[in-house]
Amino acid sequence: MTAWRPTAALSRALLVGGVGVAFAVLAGEPVLMVLVAPFLLLGALGLVHHPDSRPRVTSQLDHRSLHEGQGTVSRLVLEDAAGVEQVTRVAAAAPYVALHPRDGRVSRLLGDGPPVLEVSPRRWGRRVLGEEKVGLHSAWAGYRWGPVTLEGREMQVLPLTAPFDSRAEAPQPLGLVGAHRSRRVGSGTEFAGIRPFQPGDRLRRINWRVSLRTDALHVETARAEEDTGVLLVVDALADHGRSGGTDGGASSLDLTVRAAAAIAEHHVRGGDRVALRLLGVSRVQVGYGSGQRHLRRLLGTIAGLRIGEPHADDAETLQFGATAGTVVIVLSPMLAESIATATATLVRRGLPVLVIDTLPPDAQPAVVDGTDPVLADLAWRMRRVEREQVLGRLAALGCPVVAWRGPGTMDDVLRRLARRTQLPQVRVR
Amino acid sequence: MNRALTPGQVALRLLVLLCPPLALLATGLAGVAPAGWLVVLVLVLSVGFAAMPDSPFGTVATLVVVAWWGLAFRDDLHPQAVLAAAGLLVAHVAAVVASYGPAELPVDRGLVRLWALRGLAVLASAPAVWVLAVALQGQPEPPGIWVAGLAAACAATLVATVAFAAREGG
Repeated sequence: MTAWRPTAALSRALLVGGVGVAFAVLAGEPVLMVLVAPFLLLGALGLVHHPDSRPRVTSQLDHRSLHEGQGTVSRLVLEDAAGVEQVTRVAAAAPYVALHPRDGRVSRLLGDGPPVLEVSPRRWGRRVLGEEKVGLHSAWAGYRWGPVTLEGREMQVLPLTAPFDSRAEAPQPLGLVGAHRSRRVGSGTEFAGIRPFQPGDRLRRINWRVSLRTDALHVETARAEEDTGVLLVVDALADHGRSGGTDGGASSLDLTVRAAAAIAEHHVRGGDRVALRLLGVSRVQVGYGSGQRHLRRLLGTIAGLRIGEPHADDAETLQFGATAGTVVIVLSPMLAESIATATATLVRRGLPVLVIDTLPPDAQPAVVDGTDPVLADLAWRMRRVEREQVLGRLAALGCPVVAWRGPGTMDDVLRRLARRTQLPQVRVR
Repeated sequence: MNRALTPGQVALRLLVLLCPPLALLATGLAGVAPAGWLVVLVLVLSVGFAAMPDSPFGTVATLVVVAWWGLAFRDDLHPQAVLAAAGLLVAHVAAVVASYGPAELPVDRGLVRLWALRGLAVLASAPAVWVLAVALQGQPEPPGIWVAGLAAACAATLVATVAFAAREGG
């Protein structure tokens, strides 16, 4: 158990004071008393202020769940701090976590309040803050407690919700009430046509001009407005490129995760039902849902993804469970054959599928040390050529592939998909 | 990780480095300059003191300066002793403030202000003792005054040591 221990300063003051007084007395030199008198006083005051407390120190974060780039405060909680005059905190650096003060070292008199550290996660995921050491000093620097080591707290860092807005309507809205124009006639506001009056029609729908001209009642019809299902497929099989967090360049997974978060937020706010499939070490899925609570669940699941190839059992089958009326958005760098095959299968089923290419243009392969750079570069170029062929084949199947560029990325593609769904199609079942 | 000393730490360690040699050289103002090797010795010890404020270098450097002052002037009280006391105290206080954390720790202004006030308050004891010593200089010594003084110093040291050990054990 940590206890109060005398400091080197107290030992120095007592030793200099004691030896000085002894010499002064033995040698009869009062000048030595002049020199050591301040040390005697400091030593005595240090001894007098010995604390009897048994401090307990913990750190806590004001917020445990944040978005990338947001900040919170790590506070020190001191219990039984009687006699403590000064507090020192030294926090170790952690990947993708920015601290203020920048080096994580802060010292303050307890009278001004325990020292705080400002913390800002710079990348999505589960971030563990670096462990920190805390030391306490008594008044007149006579005694020191610690330093004790506090384990770093864990934070859930949600992806940055990049500004994203799409005005394109969903290709096949098939739900109840929403914001997308359906092909069905209903009670929306978009004009669909004029037809003869039928029992049950609302009187305010009667078009009097046409009715007078034709001597028969006619009513205006409108297209229904429905919500749609959106299935987000997130490829977390590998991370390509170097991530600099919110302050630097983005890796493929950074682009994937941020795009998925932005799209999910956009559709949930629009009243659509959004589902999620994470393809990483394990197959994580979130069912269809809507509302803020569902959005938080989606973002939390995305933030907790684990990168890697799936287990052998999971790798054999990729079941997305997408039904008619669902828009499938695949976010992937398209470097895995299994993802390309699954995407092609969905397209053949007649579902509107959109691939968002999240491979950064400047992505470089991660190679083990000692690999011949020329060989690695050649292999990477070959891999990219294969990828271009895969993307070309998907495009030939009618699956649009767009690179993620933030707001408006999907507008044009979704409009074209919406037009295409109105044409007769042959579906493979 | 950034391993550079902060400007505040540099300033404190400069004080720790320079003050003991200056306190030693203060005898020169009273006409007795220290030997060159002694100055070098104190300077070397001060370098160790500035690099590691918690190390015994500081104690040794301070005791060497105190011993030199005792040897340089036999039965003589010079006002420069107060200057030397101030130098030694400044080095000690600067080392205290510097040793509140790792060498890269930024120095808290509130702490510096507090210790500056404490240093000034404690330093007042040096001129007070000097004035008292000058006032008593030449007075006939009562028989056994130095024996009584030594006994008092020993008793004070013993009490302090016992108190120190008791609190350590507690």
